[in-house]
Amino acid sequence: MEPTRSSDAGSGNSGTYTPEIAESIRFEEEIQSLMRENTMHPGLEPPPVGGGGSSFTALLGLPANQAVELLHEPESEESPAVAIASASGGEMWRFRLRDPKALTLPSGCSPTFPSNAALVERAARLSVFATEDSPEAASVPSHSGDRSTKPKAEPADSDSQPICPIPGERPQRPAKRKEADKGNKVKGPAKKTKSAEEGSAKGAEENTSGSGEKLPYVHVRARRGQATDSHSLAERARREKINARMKLLQELVPGCSKISGTALVLDEIINHVQSLQRQVEVLSMRLAAVNPRIDFSGLDSFLSAECGRVTVGDGRCGGGMEQSAWMEATAVNEGRRQQQQIWHVDSVHPHPTPSVWERVDSPHLFINPGTSLFGYDPSNSASLHSNQLKTEL
Amino acid sequence: MNRKNSNKSRNPNKPTLAFYFLRALACINKKTSMASYNQRSGTIKRAAYASMALAAGPKRAWSRAVLCRVLWWGSSRLHGFPTRRRPRAFFHRRVRVADPKLREPSKADVLRRLVPGAKAMDLSRLLEETAHYIQYLRAQVLLMQNVVGSVSD
Repeated sequence: MEPTRSSDAGSGNSGTYTPEIAESIRFEEEIQSLMRENTMHPGLEPPPVGGGGSSFTALLGLPANQAVELLHEPESEESPAVAIASASGGEMWRFRLRDPKALTLPSGCSPTFPSNAALVERAARLSVFATEDSPEAASVPSHSGDRSTKPKAEPADSDSQPICPIPGERPQRPAKRKEADKGNKVKGPAKKTKSAEEGSAKGAEENTSGSGEKLPYVHVRARRGQATDSHSLAERARREKINARMKLLQELVPGCSKISGTALVLDEIINHVQSLQRQVEVLSMRLAAVNPRIDFSGLDSFLSAECGRVTVGDGRCGGGMEQSAWMEATAVNEGRRQQQQIWHVDSVHPHPTPSVWERVDSPHLFINPGTSLFGYDPSNSASLHSNQLKTEL
Repeated sequence: MNRKNSNKSRNPNKPTLAFYFLRALACINKKTSMASYNQRSGTIKRAAYASMALAAGPKRAWSRAVLCRVLWWGSSRLHGFPTRRRPRAFFHRRVRVADPKLREPSKADVLRRLVPGAKAMDLSRLLEETAHYIQYLRAQVLLMQNVVGSVSD
């Protein structure tokens, strides 16, 4: 009878929200009657009905045997309301145990427990509820989402946390505010965790601070004994970002990995960039000296054939197209003429020069027929040259 | 997009680089064979930077700045077009994040001067652009060495 009644009540309540609000007053009376009943029950201590959420937390200090006893309380038809708001938190647990799908929180049910809805909603979101069905989690937020009064996240976390492991554990954990960290740890929500008790052992359980470079905003966990105001957190994230980049640079510049210290590494980097630029200049002078001797005739046809078609295949086939679009977009009028001046290939000559291409180590090329850089028209011998290119590389 | 810090997205496309540069060289060879040696070397240098920037793509700040600079060079020198405004002024943003805590203002300034288009960037962005720039510079140098080596043999 009990399971059926609870399931009936659950199914009746699961889909509707407004009827619960309407019946909340009636529920309260039932609750109080039940509470009186509980007080009369032998061996059961009446939970002190204090103000606000404290009573709710106090009831969680009930020992488990009382909770079990409460499981067998004679129930009224408003069992869900009773489950949430009554002094017997065991009602709710029983409700959850019997019919986890229909844990609906009549959010307006009791003024003495204003944080109920948000608490259970929070509890529903925590991972302990994840072991139960997802409909439960879905139903609870949907019902309590309309609540106008949303208590703060921190007390909600702290208060809801003890509720969660009820089926498995004893509700012996004191509902301290410091449980906010545990609650956060259980779920790991995407927000900056800045609790005032960072220095405590509980707050520092995760000893890593992850600066999320991949995510839209930074997820930072303050380490033990470190300041937790937003400024220092942001600075720490920034510093770690900079350090990561410096490490990348150190790997890039040869001979830099041994050096420790930012200033020296920066010196090395500056030297390296300057030397590379100087090398470019020297090589360009050498090329200028050598240039008249180069037979670029073969290259002309080759390049004009390939320019409209070749993009490099390392997975970015849109690269060529975006480059062409980019060139169109950024070119000033005279600039465009300049580009085409610099890079325009006039004539088409028969044979390509394979040697340069061979020396350049290249991944596999693939032909992308969509791109046309600079508006070139592929010449007649395009296919022939592309075949030649393929055979060379 | 950091996502953009992955090495895969950052490795310079050597064939693309070679393609642009060789095309530029061919064109220069044709067009300015009568020009002086210095002019030719300057043009080749500009072509090298331009091909580097083209291969890098428009996503990097330095490539955009290099391309603007190259165009400005080209327009002012090769054809005597009076430029309406210097492209540098276009990119100069006076907003610069002061980082007194990191005690590297002087070196960061030097780096800012070296890396094109990095004048108005905070340090982390500057470092990232520098890394990218170094990669492409190195690829360009290798390519030019190959070309010179193949031609002079």
